[in-house]
Amino acid sequence: MSKLMSTLGLATVVALLLLAATSVWAEKPSFNLEIREHLFTPAELRVPANTKIKLWVYNRDSTPEEFESYELNREKVILGGQKALLFIGPLPAGEYPFFGEFNPKSAQGKIISE
Amino acid sequence: MLLTSVVIIIREVLEAALLVSILLSMCRQLSVRQGWFKWGALAGLLGAVGYGQQMGSISSAMGGVGQELSDAGIQLLIYLCLLYSCQKLVFHFNHRQPLNTTLFVAMAVAIALAVIREGSEIYIYLSAFHGNQESRLGLYSGAVIGLGIGFSFCALFYYWLLSFRPRRAVFFGSMLLTLVAGGMILQGCKMLIQADYLPDGQAWDSSSFLPEDGLPGQLLYAMVGYEATPAPAQVAIYVFAIAAMLTTLTLRYRAGLKAASPIEQ
Repeated sequence: MSKLMSTLGLATVVALLLLAATSVWAEKPSFNLEIREHLFTPAELRVPANTKIKLWVYNRDSTPEEFESYELNREKVILGGQKALLFIGPLPAGEYPFFGEFNPKSAQGKIISE
Repeated sequence: MLLTSVVIIIREVLEAALLVSILLSMCRQLSVRQGWFKWGALAGLLGAVGYGQQMGSISSAMGGVGQELSDAGIQLLIYLCLLYSCQKLVFHFNHRQPLNTTLFVAMAVAIALAVIREGSEIYIYLSAFHGNQESRLGLYSGAVIGLGIGFSFCALFYYWLLSFRPRRAVFFGSMLLTLVAGGMILQGCKMLIQADYLPDGQAWDSSSFLPEDGLPGQLLYAMVGYEATPAPAQVAIYVFAIAAMLTTLTLRYRAGLKAASPIEQ
């Protein structure tokens, strides 16, 4: 039984490594977002379509925020005064709303891929 | 503040609560002792505070994707613990023998890790907004309501699973554990995609009839990791993880049957 388990474990690790190796490691265009007073600036961020980008989110508030988007499938806690990195895309052209889960009423924005 | 706080707490509590109720009810059905639970929960609560306090350094580690990698690691470990525990319980159903401590450790670790993952976010949220005098009442009443709903759901689910006859309960419990374990893999892959360790993409879009931000979508997200727009890599690894667990459980169920009836056929 433990043999079967370890074989399964090994297969999972190999599969993950293979998939990781296929993702492109080239430098990606980088974009910045800021959180101030529970608001995202810019509230609308334009990014190139069909391109993987690096999104840096700077939290200038003293309280943490969770960057969350159902459309982008992203969620990440960003502590007060810290910055966080998220990889996004490649996105087909369109609008992708995001919000701050800790302040969902005020902290809203969208990424426009074009 | 009140509503936000209720929603955040429920979302975090449901997942761990579901896991606890399935494992505990299966143990009860199989007359396996449940004492491991308190150690798992205690370790989870302590771990959640520690993990929450270290979140700053975890996040900035590994070139800024430390949070994703540690989350994915935790989720993979939960999957492995559930796979191990569930196959043990399924075997035990047909062939009762004294159980080893590894099973209890695996179940306790699964619970502890689930509580750490969900609890650390609650800790960060509560400790951050605790300082704000005006919203403190809303924050804590929301948290209490959220915890109350989460735990009531857990209790209901526990007694509902106990209402079945053992054979059906073990079958049903195993299927649910497989779904929860698969959900861990699905969410773990989402973290690896976010960290750019797995390719992104969209296998399908079911957000028009089952949106992730609707109530059923939120419930399914918390329970089985539902995604309206999963990436192909996520789906492939999910299917593999579910198939591996189902195969293991079927084989171990049969092995238990065979061990229980030593008469040669």
